[in-house]
Order: sequence, then structure tokens, then C-alpha cells
Amino acid sequence: MNTVIPVENGEVLAAVRGFLRRLLEVQLVEALFVPLEVNEGAILPALVTDPARLSVANPLTPVMPINAARAVSALTGKQTPARLGALLRPCELRALIELVKLRQATLENVLLISIDCPGTYEYFEYTTWQHEDHKSPGFILSDYLAAAQESREPTYTGLTQRTACRMCVQPVPEQADIHLQLFGVDTSRGIPVRLRDDIANNLGMMENPHPDATEHQAAVERLISAHRQVREKELQDIRARLTSDGGLAGLFATCIRCHNCMTACPICYCKTCLFRTASFDHSPVYYLDAARRKGATRMLGDTLLFHMTRLNHMGLSCVGCGMCTSACPSHIPVGTVFSAVGEQVQTVFEYHPGRDVSESLPLVTFQENEWATLGEER
Amino acid sequence: MSDNHDFEPLIVAFLCNWCTYTGADLAGTSRLQYPPNVRIVRLMCSGAVDPVYVLKPLIEGAEGVLIGGCHPGDCHYQTGNYKTRRRFLALRETLKAIGFDERRIWLRWISASEGQRFAETVTQMVAALKELGPNPMRANWVA
Repeated sequence: MNTVIPVENGEVLAAVRGFLRRLLEVQLVEALFVPLEVNEGAILPALVTDPARLSVANPLTPVMPINAARAVSALTGKQTPARLGALLRPCELRALIELVKLRQATLENVLLISIDCPGTYEYFEYTTWQHEDHKSPGFILSDYLAAAQESREPTYTGLTQRTACRMCVQPVPEQADIHLQLFGVDTSRGIPVRLRDDIANNLGMMENPHPDATEHQAAVERLISAHRQVREKELQDIRARLTSDGGLAGLFATCIRCHNCMTACPICYCKTCLFRTASFDHSPVYYLDAARRKGATRMLGDTLLFHMTRLNHMGLSCVGCGMCTSACPSHIPVGTVFSAVGEQVQTVFEYHPGRDVSESLPLVTFQENEWATLGEER
Repeated sequence: MSDNHDFEPLIVAFLCNWCTYTGADLAGTSRLQYPPNVRIVRLMCSGAVDPVYVLKPLIEGAEGVLIGGCHPGDCHYQTGNYKTRRRFLALRETLKAIGFDERRIWLRWISASEGQRFAETVTQMVAALKELGPNPMRANWVA
């Protein structure tokens, strides 16, 4: 059903909060996972049971501190303990779909809510910018919504959007039970929302398309088209760097093995990564042998091996959220590398991560008669 | 591309216990002659090969890595080698994407009775790797 969340006096955020509050009040969900804003700009993903707490909910903020898919997986595990609502950005939702396939989460008893995403900024840069220039929250939000309406980036002078967002070609959620639309729409006249009929009935909402509803598709296409150009350039640049002298080793020369990229990645769920085990606690003689063999050996080694292994282990499920780049203290474009490589490998299997739960992971499924000549060469 | 044929390429091979390893053993007992460039690691199934096992030798400087398993349909564990096949394709594409020479990794289905095929495979692989030249990673200590 296509309907509208009514907005009074242009108070869009209040309208969203009211809508979320209703979800709890009618007990459509018993707990709601949403970002809460404390101290102006600090966004804390939280699990809320008291509707009163939603007065500080803010899913319309241009930052994404974590990819919340992992948090939702912690809330669902193998069996969701209560009826849960989860408000996620499109890339977080795609990551969650992948986690379900990896048996790290379930969608049973989970109501998925998502909003069109005009893009996010680096968390630290954003909070610094906000406090230094005392930007009013009203301006930040109104520009964010205007940007969504006009299929452009917000005009936050002095801030650059995260690369992953500037090259994102999936800013609209596909698997949500409730989808709030912002692109091409004047939200001061109401927020268009697409939701399942049974949910709408529960909330007492009726079919009522927003007057701008027909603009949505065109606005989305304009945004995707602009982002695609950025994407192609970024991927071209990173591919050039990968195949030039230095290659991948050169790109990761400044890697300090903090493993932030792995920690921030929603897909890297292994409680104990191989690289944190004793397998990589090499003996002194191992290092000496390596140093003798190559003339010198990087301490502590296995940096390239770590990234190449991570590429092989999770590249097929990479949804391009860019949390890895945001988390890297050396500002290495990890996400761009993983997006580029991930895309290339996904193409071999015609696989689209996060698109559909029923689309099997390429490495756990097989046909008996596929690639039949591979390995049979004489 | 190197014209240096004076070096001896090193191949690390991951062979499945039931088929390829036994086939390699047959090559030995049949006294078939093949180049000594291969270092064999025995696994119970080619499906047990994790990409990290293949990446480590390549990064350390081995010229090539061979994965040997049962022919599809003959896996001792029914479906292991089907997964090997897919994993190999993913690994090969990843290597291509990051600028590594993907021709350095080979997948060959060799059964327990195919001693000749094993000897031929190693011979072919050594010749092919000589054409590709020494692995540039041999001197790369930054990795």
C-alpha cells in the first residue's frame, strides 16, 4: 500500500518519531531498534521498548556510526526473543540479508523499516564540523531533506560525503516491510510510505498516495545515474592502482594491522578470525627464515595475506557500505578495493548481495554440471 | 613476462587423499618420471582447501599452486569437489581483480588410477610456470 505519514508545521522529524511511537503503542513490535541522538550529533543505535524514548530518535541524520546489521544479528540470533522492529539504512538492510544467509541472523518476527538514503559523512568530521560552526540541527535536517528531494548532495560546506555513499547505486531499500520515501518528494507535505497492507491496517492507515509520489522513481534514477559516474571513476582509479607497481601490497603498505576494517565490517562475523589465532603467532625462527629468504621481512608480517584472505572470505557478500574505509586509521580506501574486487567476483556467479534472502550464497550452492570443463584439461 | 628459463619454479600442491594423492603415489610406484618441483600437502578432500592455503605460498614466492581432487561426481564425501570448483573460480577472479597472475593457480581433477595424468600435469605446470617467470613476490618483503 502507498500512503503518507502526515506532517504538521513542516516538522518532518516529529512526524517520523510519531510514526515510530505508534509502532510500539499498537504493539506491532515489542521493541524497536533505532538510532537515538544524544548531545546533538552523537548518534547511538539503541533497542527501545519505551515509546517516550523515541522523542530523541533520529534516523534522518547524515551519519552512520556502525553498520547496524551486526547489531540486529545480535538481537535475533537463531530466534528473535520478541517481535522486533529494525530501522536500517538500505546498505545495512542488504548486509542483514547477507547475515541471514550466513545463519547469523533471522528475519522471523522482525519488522524491517528503511528510509531512502541521501548519503552519510564521516562521523568524526561531521561532529567536529557541527560543533565548530554551531550548525543548527534545523538547517542540517532541512538541507538533508531538500537534497533528497532534488537528487543532489546536501550543501554542507566544508564536508565531503563518504566515498562509499557518493558511489552508491542502491540508495533505495528493496527488502523493507515499511519503506519511507524521501527522493523527489516535498516531505513538509507528508512523508510517502510504502508498507504491507496488514501493517497499514494495524496502524489504521489507508491508501493515500503522496502528491509527489510519481516523482520518486525519476528522482531515484537521477541520483543513481550521478552516483554511477562517481562509481565508475572510483573503481577505475582503484583498479589502476591495483595493477600498477606496488599493487595491493603498495596500497596496504601503511596498514597497521589494527583489524578495524574487519571489526567494522558487518559481514565479517567470525568470533575468532584466523588471523587472531595462534596460527599467526609465528616462532622467532620463522621470521628469521623469512628474512633470510627475502633479504628482509616486514614485522609483523602477513598483511597482504590478511587482506587477500578477507577478500576471498567475504568479498562475495560485500554490500559496499564503506565502514571499513571509515574505520581505517591509515585512511586506506579499503572499501573501494573490496567493492571493486567484490563486484568482479560477484559477476562470475551473477550474484547480487543483499538483494534477496532466497538467492543462495554462491559458495555454498552448486550444480553438478556447471563449469564442466574446468579441471578436466589434458 | 620473463625469458629467464634458468630458474626452477616451485609448485605447492594440495591433493585430496582419496584420488589425487593416491594417483600421485601410483605415478611413483609406476616409476613415471616427472619434474621434482612439486611440494605435496595431503588433505582429505579438495573441498577442505581454504583460499588462505593457496594465497600463503603465492605471497611467499612459490611460482604456482596446484589443487588436485576427484572428478566431479566421484568425491569420496559426495559433494566436496563441487564446492572446490566454485571456490577456485572465486579465488581465480579475486587474483585477477587485484593484479596477481591467476594463471599460477591450477585446478585438476585426477583420479587414483591416473598416475600418468598426475605426472603429465606436473610436467605441464612446470613448463607453463617457466614461461611466466619467477614469482615477483619472492623479493617482496612489504607484503
